[in-house]
Amino acid sequence: MKSGASSAITVPTEAHSDRTDRLSPWNPFWARETELDLDSGRYVKIWQGPQHPGVTGNMALEVTLEGDVVRDCKTHIGYLHRGFEKLMERRKWIQCFPIVCRICVPEPDTNEYLFAAGVEELSGVEIPVKAAWLRALVLEMIRVASMTMGLGGQAGAYGLGIVGQWAVVHRDYMLDLFEELTGGRVYHMYILPGGVRQDLPEGFSGRMEKVLRMFENLIVDIEKVMFDNAVFKARTKGSGVLPREWVEPFGVTGTTARAAGVPLDVRKDNPYLIYDQLDFEKIVGGESDIYERAFLRKEEILMSIRLIRQILKRMPGEGPVRRKLPNVLHWQVQAGETYVRAESGRGEMGYYMVSDGGEYPRRVHVRGASYTHAMALLEQMARGQSIADIAGLMVSLQTCPPEIER
Amino acid sequence: MSLKDVISPFYAWKKTLDKPYTIKNPIAEREGAERYRGFHTNDVEKCIGCGTCEEICQNEAIDMVPVQGADPQRGDSGLRPKIDYGRCCWCALCVDVCPTGSLGMSNEYKWVTPDAEEYGFIPGVDIKPWNGAEKGYKRSDEAWLLRPGLKNMPVVEPEERRQTFDEMALGYNDNLALLEANRCLECGICVEACPTHMDIPQYIKAIRENRLEDGLQILYDTNPFSESCGRICTAHCQDACAMAHNGDAIGIRWLKRYITDNTWQRRDDILHGDNRITEREKSVAIIGGGPSGLSAAYYLRQQGYTVTVYEKHDKAGGMLRYGIPEYRLPKAVLDREIETITRIGVQLKTGVAIGGDISFEQLRRENDAVYIAVGAQKGTAMPIEGMETPGVYIGVDFLDRIAAGERPDIGSRVLVVGGGNTAMDVCRSSVRLGAAEVSVLYRRTEKEMPANAEEIEEAREEGVRFDFLVSPVRISRLETGLRVECRRMKLGEPDASGRRRPVPLEGSEFTLDVDSCIMAIGQKVDSSMAHGTDVHITRWGTFEVDAETLQTNVPGVFAGGDCESGPDDAIKAIADGKKAAWFIAKYLQAEHN
Amino acid sequence: MDLILNELENRFGVTNRDERRNDLSFATVGRQTAVEVITWLRDYAGFRHLVMISAVDYPERDSIQLTYLLHNHQTRKDIGLRVVLDRREKTMDSIHHLWAGAQVYQRELREMFGIDFPGSPGVDKPMILEGWREMPPMLKEFDTKKYSEETYFPRPGRFTMEPQTVMENKLYPIETEVKNEIRSIVRDNRSNGGA
Repeated sequence: MKSGASSAITVPTEAHSDRTDRLSPWNPFWARETELDLDSGRYVKIWQGPQHPGVTGNMALEVTLEGDVVRDCKTHIGYLHRGFEKLMERRKWIQCFPIVCRICVPEPDTNEYLFAAGVEELSGVEIPVKAAWLRALVLEMIRVASMTMGLGGQAGAYGLGIVGQWAVVHRDYMLDLFEELTGGRVYHMYILPGGVRQDLPEGFSGRMEKVLRMFENLIVDIEKVMFDNAVFKARTKGSGVLPREWVEPFGVTGTTARAAGVPLDVRKDNPYLIYDQLDFEKIVGGESDIYERAFLRKEEILMSIRLIRQILKRMPGEGPVRRKLPNVLHWQVQAGETYVRAESGRGEMGYYMVSDGGEYPRRVHVRGASYTHAMALLEQMARGQSIADIAGLMVSLQTCPPEIER
Repeated sequence: MSLKDVISPFYAWKKTLDKPYTIKNPIAEREGAERYRGFHTNDVEKCIGCGTCEEICQNEAIDMVPVQGADPQRGDSGLRPKIDYGRCCWCALCVDVCPTGSLGMSNEYKWVTPDAEEYGFIPGVDIKPWNGAEKGYKRSDEAWLLRPGLKNMPVVEPEERRQTFDEMALGYNDNLALLEANRCLECGICVEACPTHMDIPQYIKAIRENRLEDGLQILYDTNPFSESCGRICTAHCQDACAMAHNGDAIGIRWLKRYITDNTWQRRDDILHGDNRITEREKSVAIIGGGPSGLSAAYYLRQQGYTVTVYEKHDKAGGMLRYGIPEYRLPKAVLDREIETITRIGVQLKTGVAIGGDISFEQLRRENDAVYIAVGAQKGTAMPIEGMETPGVYIGVDFLDRIAAGERPDIGSRVLVVGGGNTAMDVCRSSVRLGAAEVSVLYRRTEKEMPANAEEIEEAREEGVRFDFLVSPVRISRLETGLRVECRRMKLGEPDASGRRRPVPLEGSEFTLDVDSCIMAIGQKVDSSMAHGTDVHITRWGTFEVDAETLQTNVPGVFAGGDCESGPDDAIKAIADGKKAAWFIAKYLQAEHN
Repeated sequence: MDLILNELENRFGVTNRDERRNDLSFATVGRQTAVEVITWLRDYAGFRHLVMISAVDYPERDSIQLTYLLHNHQTRKDIGLRVVLDRREKTMDSIHHLWAGAQVYQRELREMFGIDFPGSPGVDKPMILEGWREMPPMLKEFDTKKYSEETYFPRPGRFTMEPQTVMENKLYPIETEVKNEIRSIVRDNRSNGGA
């Protein structure tokens, strides 16, 4: 095993060069099964997951080890399958929105927004301007909360539990704000077709400013404790490298793609809500290792905080926040199909919705950002890693099992 | 790796000096936010048990169950929601959709109990610490998922309509009808309020799904005068409608009119195109060709009996023709409705008065059963001096003459006495006859007026003036018209009907000089045709019947409508007719066996 | 976008163009030419991002519609290709050689809808459901409510009542009987006629 002054614990050279010359599209290496002789006594199979502190959510990795090095990895999902897409086909359009937020636990509002946007597009309902601002505010708030928790998880995967504790606490303060605004802490059910449920309560901006300052202090602390940390740097720099050429075949989006140098951000590329009126840039890196991805996430938290401040300042003062829908008990949405997308913490999230003109949706298909990250990409990236680093790799890809299997 | 990277993480040690983040006593110290969606509360008095919350709950967590302390009554089904907290997801869709606003949520979030069955609880009925909580998620007007506003019926403008007897309401077009039909919650509370229990949610659903033929068939299952009722019904259903609590009731009457407006040309085909009636031997005579008599005729004929209707006027229709003016119910509409009824085999003999041309006894002999539906068509005169003065008319006679085609000359200053729908019809007809100043005198205030609020409003729009707490005392003839001496009243103690009786104010007499004065203070039943028979008549002149079967004391003789209860609305007469048809049929079948 | 759709129509004979928004269009492509069209879109038209592969079940048309959604990062536009499959013969050519991520979508479609993609790696391995022996669950014939009532045990003790029925029974039972009997006689007359 090599160990370098600044490189990760172990990246066996053989495996790495093995990969680079297989990148021809005419030679899809990802289609071939690895041939391992399991009876030879060289290999050990471990299940990492589904209940495991090193797994984000409930997902299992069936890992075949040779010594400490992963030779083969298979992702097993299905522990969080609730059958939402089928359930939605049995519920009227308005009855679907309480279900949708449960598709992703750390970031439920993106789901609510996408469902509402899809229905509004199919049925031709236009939301008031203030509602669009409130939706953007909520989306940015949940981005901050979810990415903070992601940073905490990232540190925790390397044993730096203290950052995890801080992150969860600060997320709780953000959840307090959500409770005040929407009436729920984790599942908000605030964004629904037609607009949002209610306007901001009194004094909300003041309390938000206090919480944002707390987050900024937290980021300063995290920078000192996590990013300027010799152990963390030694373990994460150069590890879990995602070659830029892999972004396209695996459909990688979000921070993972931006860390690899591919500037993809739905908020800028296909602006939705009022993002075209806000002032921000894409945050792009180049190293594409675990450290870079965590660093970019930290930068994004800061950028989201700035966005929240912008939104609060520029939001129109008075105005309706809800457009009345036709009687929701008999609401029939026009026939058609559409695809709406948004930028979640993990990448591009999209809803493909088909209506046949009836009271029930014909098909709602949720495209989670971690769908290909966790299944196809992780299986390939895990090869050649040390078993100790798998957890960190998984968290850095921000895989979120609930949105993989809905 | 640099030295900075080794030293920097120790910065975390400064947190040992900070205050901890956790709350020491969260259960006591931290209550839910003001908008928190906690446990449900329900105002049991306000709740009407409509079941909309059950319908919208996305996880089928709500059941409607009967509870102690809430009985079914007009406008309230007596059921209350029971929520299974094992399935509830606290999405507050039920709160957002509640038409009365009784269902809400508190901001309570702690409930510990060893008995899992307790979690299926009835908010508002089960005693819980959060009942009646102020904070928590309550429905706001913006969040309300239903639309409170009625789609108004397009009408002819007052300036235009006061000059003509043409129909005032123009009818819904397809768009308005669909929008209005979409507001219905299908709760079914209106069905009880209707005297004839029409299947209202079903025909509104037929409009929504564009199945107007089905809608027409549903209407005629319970009411063969649906087209007329679609214009003039008093609409008790709308008073009981769930949406009326926090908004406008669904325009049920106008939706009924929409169905009949769009199907009347094919009506006979849709209803009776392929009809086959199983004939029976017996025959029934019906005295009175008004709504009650003709409804009974329709349903008796459908059951196969030979039916003959005797009507003393030249044309059938009763008060629908002779008591309601053209601008509310065009005669053409009435004519075609009566034709639908007669075309299935009902014999209609007009111009024949029972008790005059044919005696009641003869009718009884020649038929197996008789249904009396003569209505209450005699106008009451005021017991004051001067009623016979020329220029003084009785309301119902006045309307009768107009309906027959006459246009009496009432001059330009007209006084109408009375506060019911007849008085409104009279004063608005006077406007259309060219009277420049029409005033209505009523002895109580507007609140106690029995007329429809819409009628009063439309009369005002057409220029009618209202004088409340006034009653005439004497009428005398002048050269130029009539002099009516009036006296002011004030409201005293409630009388037998529950309304406060008017008490004359001493020394408040004043006079009004008018061209004509029309009395529309009430109607009486003319039961002279049964004099000398053994049918019991009460001291008010109405026929005495058994409340359940509508049979009089004489077996085989039934009575219903205004002549049984005193003046009431058309829909009640129709309901009586339908009910009598059924009980007459049962009587005839029992006799047969 | 129009240019691309025109090109597709001329070259490959796609039909049913439908412009949803100015950056999203749908078109129906034949089953035999679908992979060719997708390859052309990827290599020549710049649609290098596979967004998703989805399926919609239309039992009344006896078909299942596959939807391939592709995205062009440069022009920021999406295109959705609809492929109609016969419901009895649910197979389609795999596109795992174009995108690695496609194998995941195809595996899920095989499990949920029963659509086979011969050659896709691991397509017959169960992905989300383990030990599932019933029919593919996303098909419209599969009744989830019935399945759950048969497999699991609903909690006993729940019953619900209709407001209208309760009011009928308590407030006007006789009139209800009258109404129902008369209604059935009137309807019988109507349906017996013409017989």
